[in-house]
Amino acid sequence: MIRLESVSKVYKGDVVALKNASAEIQRGEFVFLVGPSGSGKSTFIRLLNREEVADEGRLTVAGKDVGEMSSWRVPYLRRQIGYIFQDYKLLPKKTVYENVAFGLEVIGRPRQVIRTQVPAILELVGLSRKADRLPDELSGGEQQRVSIARAFVNRPLILLADEPTGNLDPATSVGIMRLLDRINRSGTTVVMATHDRSIVDTMRRRVIELDRGVIRRDESQGVYE
Amino acid sequence: MLSRLWYYVRETFVSLWRNLSLTVAAILTVAISLSLVGASLLIREGADRATAQFQEGVEFIVFMRADASADQDGAIRDVLDNSPAILGYTYVDKAAAYTEFQELFSDKPELVESVTAEVMPPSYRIVPANPDSGNVAEIARQFGEQPGVKEVATATDAIRQIEDFSNRVSQALLVAAVVLVGVSALLILNTVFTAIGARRQEIEVMKLVGATNWFIRIPFMLEGTIHGLIGAALAVPALFVVDDQVLAYFQESDAVPLFRGFAVPEGFVWDTSIWLLAIGGVVGMIGSAVAVTRYMDV
Repeated sequence: MIRLESVSKVYKGDVVALKNASAEIQRGEFVFLVGPSGSGKSTFIRLLNREEVADEGRLTVAGKDVGEMSSWRVPYLRRQIGYIFQDYKLLPKKTVYENVAFGLEVIGRPRQVIRTQVPAILELVGLSRKADRLPDELSGGEQQRVSIARAFVNRPLILLADEPTGNLDPATSVGIMRLLDRINRSGTTVVMATHDRSIVDTMRRRVIELDRGVIRRDESQGVYE
Repeated sequence: MLSRLWYYVRETFVSLWRNLSLTVAAILTVAISLSLVGASLLIREGADRATAQFQEGVEFIVFMRADASADQDGAIRDVLDNSPAILGYTYVDKAAAYTEFQELFSDKPELVESVTAEVMPPSYRIVPANPDSGNVAEIARQFGEQPGVKEVATATDAIRQIEDFSNRVSQALLVAAVVLVGVSALLILNTVFTAIGARRQEIEVMKLVGATNWFIRIPFMLEGTIHGLIGAALAVPALFVVDDQVLAYFQESDAVPLFRGFAVPEGFVWDTSIWLLAIGGVVGMIGSAVAVTRYMDV
């Protein structure tokens, strides 16, 4: 599903974000990216989504060479990739329902699809009864659920999560992880960058550890350290 | 497809409404500048029509009687062909004169219906070798005495003056209009830029979930185009006011009877209006396209 072959990325000022990284992630895997701040976790994720382009090496996602892809194809790549953030990135003036529907609307999905898919996904994330609330009327955990609903409503092949529990307390984080696990079990590949030791140690999934842009460790059923 | 159309329309109008004060400023600027463009075109057209018979060096016109004989006509033609004082001439026959009359008075059908080609005087439009007004007056007087000639009309100084005046006015208006059209484009650019800024978050999310660049751009470009079109639509009534008030003033002035021809038919005003709408739409589209490509990075 995802393959990196000797991928390197250097930012301006010779900041090395990723150095000669190679890895292969199969369809349906759940992968934690761990490592200190600045170790290249976010760059890893941003390369998959073509927010950044690698300087060297080859990166393929769902069989497509992401680096060589012409820019007009990028939106179609992103339709196969859901993306969730530490800060949720919800639109404050839209309700829960509208935020999720927005993700389908702007890729031109027909209205009857939106009308059936959005309630179904809100049911999945447990927010059916809060569909008409605005984001600032929700708790952090609920806001992250909305963001997951928006990322998953188009049934992407891959879900990227950049510190999704970074702003949440441990109990709430467990709820979010249960949800991501459920999504993963439905066949979606999940790649999650995190600092949360207890989550990684509890879930015992594949762990890729990065250190100053280099892959230090790649273990199935790994732990944080 | 329909839901996409609805999305564009809704997003465009939400944005127009959020940005109301800038939107109004942009629209009014477009309206004023296009009014000036239109006024300039109308005045120019009016002057052209009024002096149509006296263009390209024609200094005087010999009108023959409608019932002039072939011999009388031949005699005039003989002089024109052979006199060294005449540089050139064109002959306007009855049918051509009638066609011209129909054009000049196309908005007064009752006048057109009252005449036929048969009663129109054929005429010679004459370019003299020496356009000096004293010389022209003397030659004109000589033609006036020939049998079969109905009358001789000369391009008087007054005609030249008004021609000159209308040229200057329409040029000054056009220069002001061009500057203002530029200002409108900048204002639209800024308004759209502000609209983009107000929706940064939305644009970011749209990119992340895989909206195409055109899908993101189109509502903003529609917004700019609508500024231009509404502004142009406001300029259209202004155009009719110019036609009614300003041109009518020239028409009713007794100073120069010929200037009764200073009428611009309604059809021309409508044609000009369509041009203004096209210019407005294009200016809006260009202004917003620049804003979108420069500030949106999509």
